Amino acid sequence: MSKNYQRTGSVKLWPLIVKILIMSLFASGLGYMMYVAFLAGENLIGGVLAVILVAAFVVYSQKGLVPLKFLLPGIVLLAIFVVTPILYTVLMSGFVYKTGNEITRDQALTQIYETGYVPDENYTAFYMTLGRYEGEVSALLTEQMTMTAYLGTKGTATVLDAAEVQLDEYGTAVGLEGFEPISFEEAATLEAEIIDLRFDMGEGKFIRPESLDAASLMIQAFTLDPASGELYDSVNDITYVDNGEGNFVNKANPEEKLFPGWRAFSPLENYVGLVTDPVIRGPFINVFIWTFSFALITVVTMFAAGLALAIALDKKLRFKGFYKSVLILPYAIPSFMSILIWNGMFNRDFGAVNQLLGAPIDWYNDPTLAKLVILIVNLWLGFPYFYLISSGALQALPGELEEAAAIDGASPGQIMARIKLPLLLQILSPLLIASFAFNFNNFNIVYLLTNGGPINVLAGETAGATDILITYAYKTAFGSAEQNLGLASAISVIMFFIVGGLSLWSLRRSKVLESVM
Amino acid sequence: MKRTNFRAAAWRHTYAWILILFSIFPIYVVIVSSFDPTGGLASSSLIPQRFSWVNYETLFNSPTIPFMTWIWNSSYLAALNAVLSIVVGAFSAFAFSRLRFKGRKAGLQTLLLIQVFPAFLALAAIYVMMERIYTIFPGIGLGSHGGLLLIYLGGSMGVNAWLLKGFIDSIPMELDEAAKIDGASPFQIFWQIFVPLSAPVLAVTALLSFIGTFNEFVLASLFLQDVNLRTVAVGLQSFVGAQFGANWGPFAAGSILASVPLVALFLFAQRYIVGGLVSGSVKG
Repeated sequence: MSKNYQRTGSVKLWPLIVKILIMSLFASGLGYMMYVAFLAGENLIGGVLAVILVAAFVVYSQKGLVPLKFLLPGIVLLAIFVVTPILYTVLMSGFVYKTGNEITRDQALTQIYETGYVPDENYTAFYMTLGRYEGEVSALLTEQMTMTAYLGTKGTATVLDAAEVQLDEYGTAVGLEGFEPISFEEAATLEAEIIDLRFDMGEGKFIRPESLDAASLMIQAFTLDPASGELYDSVNDITYVDNGEGNFVNKANPEEKLFPGWRAFSPLENYVGLVTDPVIRGPFINVFIWTFSFALITVVTMFAAGLALAIALDKKLRFKGFYKSVLILPYAIPSFMSILIWNGMFNRDFGAVNQLLGAPIDWYNDPTLAKLVILIVNLWLGFPYFYLISSGALQALPGELEEAAAIDGASPGQIMARIKLPLLLQILSPLLIASFAFNFNNFNIVYLLTNGGPINVLAGETAGATDILITYAYKTAFGSAEQNLGLASAISVIMFFIVGGLSLWSLRRSKVLESVM
Repeated sequence: MKRTNFRAAAWRHTYAWILILFSIFPIYVVIVSSFDPTGGLASSSLIPQRFSWVNYETLFNSPTIPFMTWIWNSSYLAALNAVLSIVVGAFSAFAFSRLRFKGRKAGLQTLLLIQVFPAFLALAAIYVMMERIYTIFPGIGLGSHGGLLLIYLGGSMGVNAWLLKGFIDSIPMELDEAAKIDGASPFQIFWQIFVPLSAPVLAVTALLSFIGTFNEFVLASLFLQDVNLRTVAVGLQSFVGAQFGANWGPFAAGSILASVPLVALFLFAQRYIVGGLVSGSVKG
């Protein structure tokens, strides 16, 4: 009895030790990351890590919650790296978020103010002696016309009594009780700090260093009226208003924008732009139509070629084994490589295709030919898959059907067209829809083969003739000229709906959703 | 009798041969160019003229084309992703298939919905998110293999869990009921019954996941800017993209080297893969 007890005891002890070891390693790693995140002020990331840590602790430190023990890793991965990006895409699509509108409103205002510093109307200038006062980098300032001395420290400038200042032979203030001058050498090392010095003089005026020994009186041209939210430029006498799309614009001429702008929340802006703005709408509609026609044509051609092959090889045939193993090759080769190989083969001057045809055809510079290239290459890539699924489905059809039809006097052609094909279509329709959805987002074939071209950049085109929605969204988000993350996200959301809707429809048809018990 | 038989089969052979020629045309071209010492697209001709290994040597010795590094990057990323996503996916699949709990049906439907959305559709959001993570954890942020792997893991989790659930469903309930009566815990049932029984399926799912990751281009090209961190897909694209004509020979050699192991794996596992294809769409 006691022997038996010991055996079970030792069996259960080791897993426990391993479990505790793994858990403490995991917890300390995650805890450290959490600490780093909070230290860097990234409370969101820190918070997410904290939630994971707590959840893991709750789930794995007790006996119950068995399903969650199995599910938690998957849930965490899906939640952070799939669901969050999808939700974030939806959120981003509601923002004006592009080149020139990438920062927050506060950051944009800071930068606008930075451009708004101008000398006061008299161009008042100061001689400046840098030093430390009460530990802070400060300055003794002498106004060049009136020779009034000021102490600039901690953001403000105060007039100094002539009695308390030490003057040099020209009457410039160079010393003060408690003020320790800084040498030029040391000042040079403090440059970044010195550039940012501002000493307030009241009435919107302040003193700003111009070099290491001179400063001038500046005013801020912009004043923000907190009540109306209007930004007034006192130098040029222009009133700017927030246009609600991430920019301050001239009240009199809304086309005149102040830069930089900011990411502004404007939920429908990007979607409305896709429909109404001719610059965006034109290419979008073309891309949209081509995406649908490409996905449809490519699935139909691949399926037709694959099905015909399955029918051709359905009977006992010499060399059938050889045929099958060669014909599956295009499917087995990594697709990105075959696409790049085909890319070279369609080269106008030296490509193998033109050598075979004996004609210098410029495949990539003609919209129709470029589309043809994509369809041909995708046919090459995809027909083996459709052959495989078609022949699988053909073999799965009950043999009695064929016998019964033959007894009724149907020819083999009739049996194929009237009985087998309709059944086949029904069996394969979920796969056909899935393939449509896949090709709808087939980034690689377009990006690696034609890169969306031909495109007439000189005519201001932003989308090429063979761009599909996903490559168009990619270029919109990460293009070289302008990066419009907001618009790209809006396009992605539209694609989510199309692909998601299609898949849902297909699932509902095949009753998968209901059969989930 | 024989003659008519052959005539009836003639169209079958003709059609098969048309597709065979179509299929092997690029393969033939790439093999011929890989052995053409002049190396450029300009010199490659349909009929082999010269023979040399120089393109293969370039590939191994050129300091500007770290080809072997790219192959290694792709292989270990794809392998890690395959193994980890299968482990995590199998856990979830087991829970959904064998355990009964509140919210199971809703969870399954959510999983089904999530797995139909291609992860890379959210690429702008992924980019912004990983850029932010990079500022605190460079090792799992933008530009790192760690970050890319996490995105891959999230993306392949749903599909793998769904595929594996289908298989576990087909294992008879009596097996685990018997084990339960013998006092086995759910974890023991998982490790000692399901993992050994599903080993072939796990392997094929892992292989498909491996091939999928090896082929992935969008996220990798967005993530990996450093030449030495690139995957073979991004690397080959970048070096043919720059000077396609001039690099054609080494590129052809590189494609062959990178494809051969994958094609071999694929042909080896073909029977299982085809079975998986018909029961549910996996690739294509």
